[in-house]
Amino acid sequence: MISVEGLTKRFGTTLAIDDLSFDVQPGRVTGFLGPNGSGKSTTMRCMVDLDRPQMGTVRFSGRRYGEIAQPIRMIGVLLDASYVHPGRSARRHLEWLAMSNHLERQRVDEALSLVGLSEVAHRRVKTFSLGMKQRLGLAATMLGDPEVIILDEPANGLDPEGIRWMRDMLRYLAGQGRAVLVSSHQLSEIALMAEDLVVIGRGKLIAQEPASSFIARHTTTRVRVRSPQLDSLVHAMREQGAEVSFSGEATADDGALVTGLSMVEIGELAHSRNMSLHELSEVTDSLEDAFLAVTKDDQEYRSGDSQ
Amino acid sequence: MKAVIASEFLKARTVRSHWVLLIIAMAFPLVISALVGVFNPEPQFMSYRELGSMVTGTGVVSLLLLTSLWVINLTSEFTHGTIRVTYAAVPARWKVIVSKAIVGTAVTSVVMTVLFWSTFGVGAALLDGRGAPIFVTGWLSHTTGVFVALVALAVIVSWFGLGLGVLIKNSPVAIVVVLLWPLIIENLVALAFVLSGVESARKWMPYQAAIQTVDNNPGLNGTLGRPWAHLYFAAFALVILVIGIAVDRRRDA
Repeated sequence: MISVEGLTKRFGTTLAIDDLSFDVQPGRVTGFLGPNGSGKSTTMRCMVDLDRPQMGTVRFSGRRYGEIAQPIRMIGVLLDASYVHPGRSARRHLEWLAMSNHLERQRVDEALSLVGLSEVAHRRVKTFSLGMKQRLGLAATMLGDPEVIILDEPANGLDPEGIRWMRDMLRYLAGQGRAVLVSSHQLSEIALMAEDLVVIGRGKLIAQEPASSFIARHTTTRVRVRSPQLDSLVHAMREQGAEVSFSGEATADDGALVTGLSMVEIGELAHSRNMSLHELSEVTDSLEDAFLAVTKDDQEYRSGDSQ
Repeated sequence: MKAVIASEFLKARTVRSHWVLLIIAMAFPLVISALVGVFNPEPQFMSYRELGSMVTGTGVVSLLLLTSLWVINLTSEFTHGTIRVTYAAVPARWKVIVSKAIVGTAVTSVVMTVLFWSTFGVGAALLDGRGAPIFVTGWLSHTTGVFVALVALAVIVSWFGLGLGVLIKNSPVAIVVVLLWPLIIENLVALAFVLSGVESARKWMPYQAAIQTVDNNPGLNGTLGRPWAHLYFAAFALVILVIGIAVDRRRDA
């Protein structure tokens, strides 16, 4: 289990992390979300003693990172796939890492095999694509068979097959009882793999909760209705207290979006008024919608209006 | 600690550019020695002292190349970000730097030993065959003294380079500072002291003091002499290294 308590990190006058506290539970994939510049990477670097926080502590099953004699055996970290000497081969990169923590060389072969790089293990890293470097980074993470895994944007550069492989692997690893903390800008990926979420903005904790409850709390579920008698049906739904908006030109083809009535209630209503229905479906906002809603005041960098 | 040293040794020998620097460092004095041995027009005037000076001169170039290797071995970790992987694997950062220093010391000692005696041997064999008075009374003790002083200087400069490398982190800047330190920085400091009335300042410039005693009779020309000049430079280099380790321990990786 990872326990972050009161973490505070300043760079000059910039407060990068502001009294941040959260926990990462074993056996679960925890998504670590936040807008650009929100302090995710800084937090991860502080967790493994690379950056020195002004205040706060991070403990792994009760121990600080610096107190762990051979950290690779307990904590696997991937902060940036490019942190590899380009002139060194993939195998040699893993070998020095294994050697520094008294790991057997056999683990190097196992890790290379795990990420599918056995065939190119002898090649120098400068010939690798970004996706291959990501796989090498994941191999380094898994070298010590750790119980805690920390990954910063691990899906960057991976092709669709690689993304699915990574997602399945992280879920599998969490299923073995490991604590997995993963940051990503690909919210659809996080939605598919994370059971818990930690959301930060401007270095502060915004939310920590199960992904399902986060989405439910910060999104609205609507019902899409299409009917040849849409005007009459809308009138009837409004009489029942529903709020209706239109997704297009308010024609029967475009349909209406309804809140305040369930699918069943709308179906019953149409049936009682002898109206036909061409579509009745639930429209649920995505994690992306929830994330954007929650962090709208914490975006450090915004794109301009497109109009 | 043994694991970290082994890991650092593996790192040092698995990058091609390190081998290129090493080969150049070893080949340069050998080639010069062979050329001098074959083409020197007046071999009868080449004693073991002149040959020792020649080996020292070319050996200093080699030790600077070796130092560049150790500086690059460290600073490239900052350049490529591998220092973060290293420090995540070994959170006690001082162990990493000290291990690099130990590997540098061991490899430099072996390389400089092979380099010195092979260079001296090639030159001596060629010149001796052409009638040069090399293997005469006193050659061994003099040459051994030069050898020990040169190897010691190479090791100390590698510590000095590592210390500056940790502080500076940037490969080109660190190498330039290491190479120019005795030529520019110490001369400027000495000049400032001399202008302030401290006439003996030059004697106390650590790098210059050590380099001047390698093939000179100890204590000549106002230098500190062996082994004090080397001990003085070693203490200075270690202070720089310790400052580097202390600064590195406190800063963000």
